[in-house]
Amino acid sequence: MTAEQRRPAYARAFIAQARSDWQAYRVLEQAELPVCHHLHYLQMVCEKLAKAYRLRDTKAPVDELVATHSGFSKFISAFFTAVLKDEYVGKTLQLGLLIQRSRKLAREIEKLAPALDRAASPENAEYPWERDGSVIAPCDFGFSALSLLRQSGSRAFLKLVHRALDDFESVTLP
Amino acid sequence: MAPTKDEAARELAAWHFGVEPYLERVIRILAENEDEPGEPIKLLEVNGATVATGNVEAFAFAPSKSLPFPITIAEVTPEEFERIARHELPLPRGWSLENSEQFPRPRAA
Repeated sequence: MTAEQRRPAYARAFIAQARSDWQAYRVLEQAELPVCHHLHYLQMVCEKLAKAYRLRDTKAPVDELVATHSGFSKFISAFFTAVLKDEYVGKTLQLGLLIQRSRKLAREIEKLAPALDRAASPENAEYPWERDGSVIAPCDFGFSALSLLRQSGSRAFLKLVHRALDDFESVTLP
Repeated sequence: MAPTKDEAARELAAWHFGVEPYLERVIRILAENEDEPGEPIKLLEVNGATVATGNVEAFAFAPSKSLPFPITIAEVTPEEFERIARHELPLPRGWSLENSEQFPRPRAA
């Protein structure tokens, strides 16, 4: 397989897995389980989604893109600029607030990845961590920074994720 | 009438300054083959509201009705941009600040 064939093949695989993770997230969100489980899936959706968009269209080496972390919070602004701009004509203020809120949530969701900055921010959705002399399991932790997700205004963020999953084929380069 | 590529890039930058209060500047990267139809508008955006990731992640999108050009956008923090300027942080392949157009934040935006 050449690099030109591998890049779109990986992109398709990452978006397929992100969509499947999204379905799992929706099931877990409704289940009577600790919040860490659905947040773990949401974090995986966001990371794979950003990776799929990066992979399909850039000139960067495929293996580097597959192996490195892709920042979902950096993806948000690009997606608004390139895809959603037309839908917010005359609604600059609302859009500005939505971007701000989405960035904040994206940042909190990125922190859920266990591999990311464990020293500064050990809380994650997957593995236990130590804080102030106690060892804490994700299933016993409230993830209050992400309680925002349950508020009605933040549903827009989840719609944004859903939209980016749905629109992948139409808004990326052929 | 559809905008030219230059007009589209300027309009996009102006629009983005309007919705992003911490966007400090937009740099349009120009390629040697900038006039080729498939060559995207390439924007490097320096935004104080984004998160440092230690690399420059470019996301590319297909043309749309209002923006009839492919577009590639990468967002970095002001600190990451300083590292780019010092050649400590590499830009995406084919991007260079040497051949670029700067859009500083308008005073009123």
